[in-house]
Amino acid sequence: MASYATKVKNDIARWVASGLVDRATGDALVRDVEANERNGLNFGSILAIMAALLFAAAILILVAANWEAIPRVARVGALFAVIFAGYVGGAVLKERGHGGFAEALWLIAAAAFGGSIALVGQMYHFSGDEAAAVVTWCVGTAIAAAALRSNALTVAAVGIADAWLVLKGFEIFRRSEFPHLFVAVMAVFWALSFWTQSRAARHLIVLSLIFYAVLLGIHYDTLEVGLVLALVSAALLAVAALAPIPSERLVQLGGRLPLHALVGFLTGLGMIQIDRLDEQGFVMAAAVALAVIAAVVIFLGRESRALRWIAYLGFAFELAVVYLVTVGSMLGTAGFFFAAAIILAGLAYAIIRIERRMKPQSPQGAA
Amino acid sequence: MPRYKLVIAAVVLALAQIGLLSWMIAGRAAILRDGKEVLLKVEPIDPRDLLRGDYVRLGYDVSRIPVEMIANLPKGELTTAEGSIVVRLKKGTDGYWRETSAWLGAAAAPAAADEVDLLGHISNGWNLAPGSTIGVDYGIERFYVPEGEGLAIEEEMRKRNSGAEPELRGFGIKVAVGSDGTGQIKALMDGDTMLFEEPLY
Repeated sequence: MASYATKVKNDIARWVASGLVDRATGDALVRDVEANERNGLNFGSILAIMAALLFAAAILILVAANWEAIPRVARVGALFAVIFAGYVGGAVLKERGHGGFAEALWLIAAAAFGGSIALVGQMYHFSGDEAAAVVTWCVGTAIAAAALRSNALTVAAVGIADAWLVLKGFEIFRRSEFPHLFVAVMAVFWALSFWTQSRAARHLIVLSLIFYAVLLGIHYDTLEVGLVLALVSAALLAVAALAPIPSERLVQLGGRLPLHALVGFLTGLGMIQIDRLDEQGFVMAAAVALAVIAAVVIFLGRESRALRWIAYLGFAFELAVVYLVTVGSMLGTAGFFFAAAIILAGLAYAIIRIERRMKPQSPQGAA
Repeated sequence: MPRYKLVIAAVVLALAQIGLLSWMIAGRAAILRDGKEVLLKVEPIDPRDLLRGDYVRLGYDVSRIPVEMIANLPKGELTTAEGSIVVRLKKGTDGYWRETSAWLGAAAAPAAADEVDLLGHISNGWNLAPGSTIGVDYGIERFYVPEGEGLAIEEEMRKRNSGAEPELRGFGIKVAVGSDGTGQIKALMDGDTMLFEEPLY
């Protein structure tokens, strides 16, 4: 964020010097940039949150070590004190305008809550499943996020829910049900993210849902999951392309909806292709993927560099997979390297051409 | 007042989370204090938990229940459905408690004075054909120990139970059973001597 503000300020200084904008407008613009910069995450906040994450990990590992030198009651008491001091101290800091440190303290408190659940399990030798403990932790963190309107805690709650999904999704030997509840949890967290103004949480939720679809596809081993994921993502891509402003107002992903939709689409098609590796539908799926990638670059690529790079990655992946499946079986290693070199060279040429075409038009659009 | 709204919310939140944790602890301490004691024969399986540290995984004699033991076996079903199971235990002549009968769901009649009902959980898919056994989880299948001590205890247990030194008795776990049938590990017994006893808190 800071780098963006610095860049804009440099640009404004240049425009003022070259007479594009007058000094008064330039100063007003700089003031606006500075005012808005403070709302975002600055470097100090990021460091504070990283420190909080380290502290949180230390708490959890200290609990796991089951160190006898500290009596149990003291361990429980210390964790309770951290919970209380973290939540309340964070709230006090927030009132005084130290948002970044507040979020960091809240993260520590939420980690101490999770650590306490683990400690109680350890004290009384619970052998019940970890997943249930993780759910308790997740709900507690989400409630904390709602009560404190905390961005970081919302993200943490989504992350803990992801951990639960992994725990449940890979419980192959326990013959348990697939955790479909995850989708409902994500829906609730999506609503929560508007209350806590956490765009980061929404990004993580979208990626988590794509991950859920992948696990679902593996679990049931069917084509339909990949197909549905690809179709829904394609529909979202179309919506984002045709109605960018209303769709952004609805999802508030900072204009990144097409990015997520493309990731989802490529994931879905990839699942279909892996399913159909030596069958009829494979080439069809590859053709569809390449067509959609091309369309995305042409219609949506101008606004987002990240989107273009996802498109290039998808394109390279498709070429490699198609090559391996259709031709690779007949040619030797030398042939593969030769073809790979040509494909890479072609890809590089295409990327350079596209990137160059995207560039000169942006100043015209701004003028 | 609105200035302190966030602080008040934080205080309420912190107290609520601490309250929930205290309630969990109080419930377990109550079972330890007031529950009926049973001694179960045990053998170790294998250790380690990512979050909670070292533990010895325990398999009990009563972890395997013969299908014939279940009083209310559903007719026509080939496999179990996921759910709870009540296992009635009675003290054997060697001091260890063993299953006398079991019910899927809830027990048909209250336990006699010399018997204890232990609540367990079964997953779906266990074979219900005559002669087979089903696996039961009681939530007492782990014994947490300080880091690094898990393997030593486990090896010792395995040596004893393999019968290499028949003059030594096997390990046992003393379990406190709450009024609702919830089991809570109370002590790790080496024959008649107590190795670890759990404090209430």
